[in-house]
Amino acid sequence: MSEGVIPLQAYLIVAALMFALGAWGVTIRRNAVVVFMCVELMINAVNLTLVAFSDYLPKAHGAGSGYAVVVIAIAAAEVAVGLAIVIAVFRTRRTVNIDEIDSMKG
Amino acid sequence: MIAVFVVLACMTLLSAFGVVISRSVVHSALFMAGAFLGVAGFYVMLHSPALAALQVLIYVGAVTVVILFGIMFTQKPQARRFRVILNRQVWGGFVVAAGIAAILIYVFLEQDWGGTSPGHGPRLVAQLGRILVGTGGAPQIFGLLFEGSSVLLLVATVAAIVISRRRPEQPTERGGE
Repeated sequence: MSEGVIPLQAYLIVAALMFALGAWGVTIRRNAVVVFMCVELMINAVNLTLVAFSDYLPKAHGAGSGYAVVVIAIAAAEVAVGLAIVIAVFRTRRTVNIDEIDSMKG
Repeated sequence: MIAVFVVLACMTLLSAFGVVISRSVVHSALFMAGAFLGVAGFYVMLHSPALAALQVLIYVGAVTVVILFGIMFTQKPQARRFRVILNRQVWGGFVVAAGIAAILIYVFLEQDWGGTSPGHGPRLVAQLGRILVGTGGAPQIFGLLFEGSSVLLLVATVAAIVISRRRPEQPTERGGE
């Protein structure tokens, strides 16, 4: 590989670290909105791997980019519904602390 | 090229760390926008400028604004101590996340990816569009995925309205809003 070309593994490692940071945030934060943000970080990390594969693998025919577009659309839907749920929970429970929201019954 | 990569990687990872560790929820949201911008820069480096534009529009624009709305509706007075924002699993969660990172990096480095070279992505918007409708060499399932995701977006929009609507018979609990 010639000088100055970034190997595929570099992108994958950045994405892996970003995914792990998102997983850490999902595990330790108490605020449901921040948990959503961390889930978005994980989704973005996966998107980064998909686009990296689509650019680096000759036989992929750019399929990873197509998957990335689908993932972005589904993540947008997830944010809309998720935040609606958070707001509905806040309206009945007066809190978004996920340690206190431990019952399925409204 | 390498300098750009290092700058973008630092921006993305430090912003992601800021999302996790920031005491203010609003700061977390802004850090998240920074991480998304870093990923958009990576997309440009990976010869996908159309995806970078989508990333900026949808994530940095729409998702960040929606999450800021969510914060606006649910915000409480600022937490001053980490004990308030983090639960007791800080180090347990760190071990789990580090394990995930280690396993992923091990797999990524050990796997033989074959002949990899940059520059095969759909650089043109027309190429990306052909992929999305399932022609032009990409798997034909993309046509179905495209239609499915459009239906999903419609259903999600309706569902979000239905869930978060304030029902008229349900009296609001907050007095002066």
